[in-house]
Amino acid sequence: MNDEFLKSLKNIEAPAPSVAARERALDAAMTAFDAVHEGEGETQSEKNARPVQGIGWGERLRSITSDWKRNWTMDIRIPLGATFVAILVVPMGWYFMNQTALTPVDLSLPTPPPIEKAQEAPVAEMEVADARTRQAEQLGAAPQPAPAPVPMRDMAFEQQAVSPALARAPMGSAVYSPYPGGDRFTAFDEGGVKFTANEPVSTFSIDVDTASYAYVRRSLEMGQVPPAEAVRVEELINYFSYDYAAPEAGGDPFTPTIAVHPSPWNANSRLVHIGIKAENFDISEVPPANLVMLIDTSGSMDEPDKLPLLKRAFTLLVNEMGPDDTVSIVTYAGSAGVALEPTSGSEKAKILAALETLQPGGSTAGAQGIEAAYRLAEQAMVEGGTNRVLLATDGDFNVGISDPDGLERVIEAERQKGVFLSVLGFGMGNYNDAVMQSLAQAGNGNAAYIDSYSEARKVLVEELGGTLMTVAKDVKVQVEFNPATVSEYRLIGYETRALAREDFNNDAVDAGDVGAGHSVTAIYEIVPVGAPGSADPLRYGEDAVAVPGDDAEYGFLKIRYKAPGADVSELIEAPIPVAGQYQVMSDLPEDMRFATAVAAFGQKLRGSGYLAGMDWDAIRQLAQSGRGEDETGRRAEFIRLVDIAASLE
Amino acid sequence: MNVPLSNNDLVRRAAGGDRAAFAALVGEHYDFMFRTAYKWCGNRADAEDVAQDVCVRLARALGSFDGRSAFTSWLYRVVLNAVRDRQRQGARRAKQADALREVSASDVAPDQESAVAERQLWDAVRQLPEKQRDAMLLVYAEERSHAETAQIMGVKESTVSWYVHEAKKALKDMV
Repeated sequence: MNDEFLKSLKNIEAPAPSVAARERALDAAMTAFDAVHEGEGETQSEKNARPVQGIGWGERLRSITSDWKRNWTMDIRIPLGATFVAILVVPMGWYFMNQTALTPVDLSLPTPPPIEKAQEAPVAEMEVADARTRQAEQLGAAPQPAPAPVPMRDMAFEQQAVSPALARAPMGSAVYSPYPGGDRFTAFDEGGVKFTANEPVSTFSIDVDTASYAYVRRSLEMGQVPPAEAVRVEELINYFSYDYAAPEAGGDPFTPTIAVHPSPWNANSRLVHIGIKAENFDISEVPPANLVMLIDTSGSMDEPDKLPLLKRAFTLLVNEMGPDDTVSIVTYAGSAGVALEPTSGSEKAKILAALETLQPGGSTAGAQGIEAAYRLAEQAMVEGGTNRVLLATDGDFNVGISDPDGLERVIEAERQKGVFLSVLGFGMGNYNDAVMQSLAQAGNGNAAYIDSYSEARKVLVEELGGTLMTVAKDVKVQVEFNPATVSEYRLIGYETRALAREDFNNDAVDAGDVGAGHSVTAIYEIVPVGAPGSADPLRYGEDAVAVPGDDAEYGFLKIRYKAPGADVSELIEAPIPVAGQYQVMSDLPEDMRFATAVAAFGQKLRGSGYLAGMDWDAIRQLAQSGRGEDETGRRAEFIRLVDIAASLE
Repeated sequence: MNVPLSNNDLVRRAAGGDRAAFAALVGEHYDFMFRTAYKWCGNRADAEDVAQDVCVRLARALGSFDGRSAFTSWLYRVVLNAVRDRQRQGARRAKQADALREVSASDVAPDQESAVAERQLWDAVRQLPEKQRDAMLLVYAEERSHAETAQIMGVKESTVSWYVHEAKKALKDMV
């Protein structure tokens, strides 16, 4: 451990504090100051400067102590801000007397637990972490309790007196994750029940990403329950290919398949199953492709499941390339620069040799990585073909543009010019799911997580057509439920893809894209009018049951999409009929049974309350019954994951 | 407050109950508190909480600043204590689960084009026992002398040197 290396510690700069946090802190400081100095002599101007807080300090204190045990939070006569300060500061005064910064150092401190590699964290700890998050979710938007450093056993006041909601503003950072190894996900709440009478219209963007499934699979295979925010149910469902009816040739790029069937986890509700499958193209019919591989070669990529796997994955891809296709390779972070100028797909040996020379390591970030990639893409631009940058990384996005928003803007600008971007994630420990998702969305591409050779084959070979050929872009789904037949509904998954109702008709709003052969499934859980729902009927207000109307349809489905080169969207419409619904699960096509099992699995893994009525074994049986031929073995693998999840609970 | 005042004047006035002086003092040092907390905690959310906590503590604790050391040295100690309290609180909450996860670098900004090796070192230092960590960060990240570090930590200079020695030994195995 030499000193020069240690001195690099000072290179890590803290970011600038956020203005909001700063203001919050300064406000808190002044409130505390006022509480401390209340009653001391002050000038008139200082009095004016002090925020009005109602009654004076003495009275405040008295009212706190007298009302304390009874009903302190509900007593609106106490100014809550002042109450908080009193609760916090009075004990703190005591605290400082005993333990100020100036008291001698306590040398008998408990040392932190030994360091472990995150991947090796025991299951029990993962579960604790997981439970903690769920608990935090229940507490609402303020996941951390009050920061008061109050030694509980010595205090006259109980800890719960300092309600988290009062004690501090909600934490601003949405991408904060306590999960091991620094993998980052954007937290989201499960989509809740909506009442048709209040909010009959549901709108979302489709999502053909599969990264969540691969991440979940990897976590479970390592014996860990994945964090809830890593489980996006729609990505789990859409990981599998479903054989929905193909569209008529020459017509719309897809036709929706709609089915209504019982819910396996709630006898009172039904599931509305909406599936679309895009037409598939023979790979030989796909127009020429111009691919630029933008590869992260930072030191963190030096693990068997990162750069070496990436090389093998791209080798698979290169083998699919034809003479009209071009491939370029750009690296960033570490060995920076152009590793391969645009090269014809027929010169496989040259491409593979360039791929083979890539080495992880080095510490300087390769600036201009993304610029170089887009420059090569434009240089080799194929009119009417596919022009795409494939960004492969383990989560290090130091591609040369430091500001994530700036990066998104560049990607969007290039998208306008016709160069799309897909993101391939590798490895664990540094995985930045949130950024991957947003970049791929900005670039009209998909985000996939590659954890194994077989996954690489699935993404880069089997689904090559989908990666290379977009058949419809900005695909949005809107369902209007009929209050005469549906009292409540809930969209399963797609929480991170929700759109505003008016976004549906706004062609400027970006949404998900569908590649050749992709299938997309969305499932709504509905409660038919008359069945017991989650809320009691209203005694006074107008109730959903009272709404008259057509009872032949549960709702109406609308899908908007744009043809790959178009700027104006097309509309596909279909009713969701009440008649003709499946009465028992066993009548359902195998694919739909399987998709329903995956939906149940994802929700249960997230700890969803809606799934309380279905155990792992029932999910397994449903998946087994929908397994079908399963040529690829992926459904069998899913069933194995159900078993692992069951054993970890 | 039109005329800018020196730290010590501000501190004296603030401790004496001058509201404007206190506001100026806290406003002036907030960035320092946040940055220091960030370096110790490694993520924005915790750093913001700690900085806010320190702001509130200062209202009362200013009176105990005796002016024998530089105000920033004293402030370091308040921040470090707040960090430690927060981390202990985290450990309690997590019921002995590895509290360090919570404080490991989770949002190192992407513009820090720092080497992965540096980041690993940074993470490793944060996982040292508290005293060793504080000593290492003060000496190497904040570039304080051993004597200043000793004053901030409230220990003897030789103790700081020992902490640094122990920390280096531990880091050799970790990085």
